[in-house]
Amino acid sequence: MTELLLLIGACVALRAAGLAMAGRMGAEHPFIRWASSVAMATLAAFVASALLMPSGALATLPIAARLGGMGAAVAVLFWRGGLLLPVLAGLAVAVLLSP
Amino acid sequence: MSGTGPFARACREALGAPALAMAATFLAFGTAAAAAGLSLGWTLLAALGVYGMPGQMILLGGGGVAAAVAANARFLPMAVSLSPWLGRGGGRWLSLPFIAVTPWAMAMRRLPHTPPTDRLRWFLGFALTSWIVAGLSALAGFLLAGRLPGPVLAVLLLTNPIYFGLIVADAARVHPARLSVACGLLATPLALVLPASLGLLAAGLVGGSVAFALSARRRD
Repeated sequence: MTELLLLIGACVALRAAGLAMAGRMGAEHPFIRWASSVAMATLAAFVASALLMPSGALATLPIAARLGGMGAAVAVLFWRGGLLLPVLAGLAVAVLLSP
Repeated sequence: MSGTGPFARACREALGAPALAMAATFLAFGTAAAAAGLSLGWTLLAALGVYGMPGQMILLGGGGVAAAVAANARFLPMAVSLSPWLGRGGGRWLSLPFIAVTPWAMAMRRLPHTPPTDRLRWFLGFALTSWIVAGLSALAGFLLAGRLPGPVLAVLLLTNPIYFGLIVADAARVHPARLSVACGLLATPLALVLPASLGLLAAGLVGGSVAFALSARRRD
């Protein structure tokens, strides 16, 4: 439990530091644009690594199911927009491509 | 409260695809925590207090606090980039417990097109709903532990990368996010070769900084 409380405290500190550092800067401030770029690049790297080299139960899905599901979801996103329908379409294709 | 106010609208929006992705991820976390022999109290405190899955999973797996903090270090750039959209008053500090990838990603899509007076209420509605969904899903996962077949769990876990993949694909339609996404993808090998706690942080820092530098050169 001590480790968990330490982690919670550190996460609060990270969030608070971000809010404090941004201070009264506007969205176009170079520091804000750099932080936004880092955050978006981190998210892109997360998606790529989760699809290409997952761990745990996700690794039991074949790579064709993972990538096929993602591809189908993006195709539906560009075709119809929204998020829920693309997510469901992606999961359906992943199930179809699973053994 | 009006059913069409920014808070209510954000609550409804959070209950769509974001809730599905959030529920699937936290359900799997609750299941994993129960399987590891942890208490329900620990599980809920981790889900709602840490509220950042990579760090939660590392702590659950015995990776230690330092590695878990490094894995959740993305909270810092996310809070920095979110802050200007939440107003300059003290009210933006109400967002603190809820700053996580799901509310951040949707906020960066919605807040630039939301009237400034509505932005904080929109964020709090979306973020609070997502947070409640996360807690309830972790609870459900804990109670369902051992009853979910492996293939079902695997497909549930795919919901999260698919959802964030869509956020990334949508963001990549416009500059400068397109450059950040491209550089993040190119930096992904760093996430694959470094320890899990540092890999994503390194890929994001390198990819995001290169994209920022290229974007700044283009502006000059």
